Amino acid sequence: MSVKAFELVPAVERDLLMGDKARINIECIECCGKHLYVGTNDCFIHHFLLDEVTSSKGKLSYSAQKLLHKYLGLKKPVAELRAASALERLIVLCDGIVFLVDMVTLETVPSAAGGGAKIRGVTAFCINENPVNGDPFCVEMGVLSSKRRTVQIYMVYEDRVQLVKELTTPEQPCAVSLDGYFLCLALATQYMILNYNTGASQDLFPYNSEERRPIVKRIGREEFLLAAPGGLGMFANAEGVSQRAPVNWSESVIGAAVCFPYVVALDESFITIHSMLDQQLKQTLSFRDGHILQDFEGKVILASTKAVYVLVPLPLERQIQDLLASHRVEEALILTEGAQRNIPKDKFQILHKRILQQAGFIQFGQLQFLEAKEHFRKGQLDVRELISLYPLLLPASSSFTRCHPPLHEFADLNHLAQGDQEKVLRCKKFLISYLGEVRSTEVANGCREDVDTALLKLYAEQDHESLLDLLASDNACLLADSVPWLEKYHKYFALGLLYHYNGQDSAALQLWIRVVDGDLQDSTRSDLYEYIVDFLCSCFNLDLVWKYADWALRKDPTTGVHIFTRRPVCKGQTQLNPDDVITYLGKHDQALLLYLEHLVLERRIQKEKFHTHLAVLYLERVLLLLSQLPTDEEKLTRARERLQALLRESNLYRVQFLLGKMENSEQLLLERATLHGKLEEHDKALHILVHKLRDFPSAEAFCIWASSSRDSAYRQQLFHLLLGVYLDGNPPGKSQTAAGGGSGDLEMAAVDLLNRHGEVFDAVRVLRMLPEGWSLQLLRPFLGRAVRASMHACRTSQIALGLAHSENLQLLHDRLKERKKPIFVSEKKGCHLCHNTFSEPSVVCLPGGVPVHTHCIAQRVRDSPTKRQLTNSSNHT
Amino acid sequence: MPETSKMKKPDVKVVLLGDMNVGKTSLLHRYTERKFKDTISTVGGAFFLKQWGPYNISIWDTAGREQFHGLGSMYCRGAAAIILTYDVTNWQSLAELEERFLSLTDTANHDCIYAVVGNKADLTDPTAQQSQDTDGMSEDQTECEDRTEPEVLSTSLTSSASPKQVTHEDAMALYGRILRYKGLEEKSSLPAEKMCFETSAKTGYNVDTLFETLFDLVLPSILRKRNEYQESPTVDLEECRGGSSKRARSSCC
Ligand SMILES: Nc1nc2c(ncn2[C@@H]2O[C@H](COP(=O)(O)OP(=O)(O)OP(=O)(O)O)[C@@H](O)[C@H]2O)c(=O)[nH]1
Ligand SMILES: [Mg+2]
Repeated sequence: MSVKAFELVPAVERDLLMGDKARINIECIECCGKHLYVGTNDCFIHHFLLDEVTSSKGKLSYSAQKLLHKYLGLKKPVAELRAASALERLIVLCDGIVFLVDMVTLETVPSAAGGGAKIRGVTAFCINENPVNGDPFCVEMGVLSSKRRTVQIYMVYEDRVQLVKELTTPEQPCAVSLDGYFLCLALATQYMILNYNTGASQDLFPYNSEERRPIVKRIGREEFLLAAPGGLGMFANAEGVSQRAPVNWSESVIGAAVCFPYVVALDESFITIHSMLDQQLKQTLSFRDGHILQDFEGKVILASTKAVYVLVPLPLERQIQDLLASHRVEEALILTEGAQRNIPKDKFQILHKRILQQAGFIQFGQLQFLEAKEHFRKGQLDVRELISLYPLLLPASSSFTRCHPPLHEFADLNHLAQGDQEKVLRCKKFLISYLGEVRSTEVANGCREDVDTALLKLYAEQDHESLLDLLASDNACLLADSVPWLEKYHKYFALGLLYHYNGQDSAALQLWIRVVDGDLQDSTRSDLYEYIVDFLCSCFNLDLVWKYADWALRKDPTTGVHIFTRRPVCKGQTQLNPDDVITYLGKHDQALLLYLEHLVLERRIQKEKFHTHLAVLYLERVLLLLSQLPTDEEKLTRARERLQALLRESNLYRVQFLLGKMENSEQLLLERATLHGKLEEHDKALHILVHKLRDFPSAEAFCIWASSSRDSAYRQQLFHLLLGVYLDGNPPGKSQTAAGGGSGDLEMAAVDLLNRHGEVFDAVRVLRMLPEGWSLQLLRPFLGRAVRASMHACRTSQIALGLAHSENLQLLHDRLKERKKPIFVSEKKGCHLCHNTFSEPSVVCLPGGVPVHTHCIAQRVRDSPTKRQLTNSSNHT
Repeated sequence: MPETSKMKKPDVKVVLLGDMNVGKTSLLHRYTERKFKDTISTVGGAFFLKQWGPYNISIWDTAGREQFHGLGSMYCRGAAAIILTYDVTNWQSLAELEERFLSLTDTANHDCIYAVVGNKADLTDPTAQQSQDTDGMSEDQTECEDRTEPEVLSTSLTSSASPKQVTHEDAMALYGRILRYKGLEEKSSLPAEKMCFETSAKTGYNVDTLFETLFDLVLPSILRKRNEYQESPTVDLEECRGGSSKRARSSCC
């Protein structure tokens, strides 16, 4: 637990004091600025000028120059010396007498006319360092006299001393210290505090002063350090309370002083130095024949019987650094924080921060990351100090240089880990988490690029999952520096993201394409191709789209076409012109087809060009399949179904054009029929269906389809047409192409048609068309339904007729009734419908003879169709 | 001990008193460092600053050795709570509290509260062998078991080698005598059941309870002390005139 806090430096050597006179001993010392006074046992006072000399190496030494020595003429040892520099006097205790001596001449000051300058019978005295009297040319002094059990307070002036107070004590006092009004006394069996103003006393603790020499040392405002039983140094304040824990001295302590934050004590052979902060013994210096230890204005001076030394504190910072050097982080921090009061605030803050940072690095070196982090945080460490430990992490462009003097002893991470890869890894993991935490805080202010770039490098190297998150979000990674790292670790996908983030989409795409093409290896995304397609799909830069779509389409037209078909529609974005896309897709048949399907079938764009184009492509595909041998029936069927569906459903394509294309194809009869249907060339269509295809269900279906959006007359027309075709038999010139009993088939088709769709036909016309020889039985369903239908129609109309007749009668009746009496219309009479008056004679009379405006009833009739009859039955008058 | 270094001014003082070897230092260690470690007989005294909510509480560990006895009064001066500690396996340690230590408490605050604590309960009481402390206790325990001779320990655990010399009732009786010594009414004082504890610094048994109960009880004392600093002299006078109402006042804060 040792620390080097002080150095013992000789001040006055034996030679200078007593030469070879063996019996002469130092009895007391006083130091005042550069002036050192030494009192000896042969009644001399020696006056030296003490100069501090700092060697070129920074080592401190003292040179003493003897100014004067003076014999006091009492033949007794000089017991005590105290300087009163404001008075230019030394207060001397010799032979039980206190008197004054001139500081310069060392001449005894003669008594002033009015009063004495001497006090007799004194055993000990002390000066009040916290005087209550405001007079600067007056020194307060506490005096113990050989007179039993009293303490006296004197005022010392330039040439006289004046008793101001005398108090009795319960026992004989043997040591005294004074602060303000408080006397701290060592009595024969105890210590006590005595307030000389109020006389109030406070026992401190028992101590046998006869057995062991008491120590009463004022160490600060109203606080004293006392030798306690068991070799303790006890602290006590004026209220009699101990506010600091005691320090553990030896039993034989001669003198003690406080040199913050240390308690220095002297015994026969050692100087011990305890910290007041943790009560630990920090340093021990061997010192023979120790005799005196006193502090003068913060300077600790010691004397053996023959020589004088100065105990020079090492600069606090140096002590702290020593502690840190031996990795005693906790103690170093205690010492630093303990010194807060003694250092100006701004200076302290700088020191404290630095020590915290250093402490953090020590703990970091010991892999105590939690503690290290806490100290880095408190010490507001520039993160780059930490990053710079890791080779190559800081970007080349970073302006950072490590602080000087260095915060730690490590050259870099490898030096720290001494080749232990496990350690290196743990350090890296720590940095990853640390940077991750600080990158979005003010810690990273001003060095965001360095932090993010370092983090990116670590992520890449450690194959960390957060790499992509970093790049996909707001970041300050430096491109130039990151590229080689990402390449080194084959993080091409990530690199692409970084390019993208830096607005270099083209570079990103090129890189990704190389990965997909297998030129580069990066398994980050197995669906990179789809990613690229998505990327192009939402890419604003159309040039890039045109440039790279080709590659994507070649790779996989079905997915590649998504670039065009899945583009999000949003305002303000330059839309792709479908015509351009179609031109572009020229060489990609499949993609083109998909794109046209997208336009026509999904987006339902009503443009002849697209519809025709799509139809042609469908047709070409069918033709292609037809030309291949052997024919893949399944594919063919599907292709034809599509073609047929389009032909049927679209009304935009150029029918003639398509018809021209398939004119010669005997296999696409159904399609041709559809096209004829579109042209309303129903006879041609039906001819094909009936005679060429002999596909009667299709023929029927054709009729229904072709008339689907027309009225019933049109449909009837078509069905009659079909019936006609059936009944006409084989067309002239084409005799019996279909095998066996051809016309029999047609007849059966005709019968089926009639029986199934009887309601569409005009039965009378049908009957006229039918060949004579057909059996009734054959047409029974048709005829039955026709008879029933005509019967029904007949009866319905009879009912209607009857109803109309009765209504007519009713109206006639009304009219006759109304005619009998006149209907009055005047300007005072209101219309029943609008309640306005009549302005002209022409009115409508409702049943019951109620007159209303013509326009009112017209309105009414228009609004409610159910009352239509009213118009018929109304009368104009 | 970084806490002690901060030099914060403590708001209130708690003092551990008791004969040497009863386990005062061990109790304080257990509470502040959450472990039981080897101790050396305390020299002089030591203290620890505990942050309790917004308050700083200084806990003084005193030396039980006869040699340092004289310092006791000083440590107790101005104390808000005093923990009188004895060893449950040592009757004399309880007797010493009354004979030697009680008089030291004369310098404590007039409203100082007293706790009588029988330590080393693990040696006599099986329930005290189990820790109440949850955080990482068992680990620490093994650490110390390694240090003590295992045989000794195991016998003491199974057959209670050290007989219990002081019962809880003895301690409560002492508490009653303390109140009488202080001239306090039993009725208006904190009850013995609440202020007599049996603890084990070794297992942590009851240790947190002890300190935290005391801290909660001295809180009014802290508040009053703060008020005395802040309030004007007139208010102080009023409070003095109130005399017996002081206690009531503090309890309503
Ligand atoms: N079994 C057991 N031993 C304990 C317990 N507490 C303390 N000890 C032991 O008792 C001995 C004394 O403990 P300390 O804490 O040093 O006692 P102390 O009261 O501080 O003694 P002084 O400082 O001399 O006054 C040590 O050997 C401890 O290991 C406990 O709860 N159980
Ligand atoms: Mg102890």
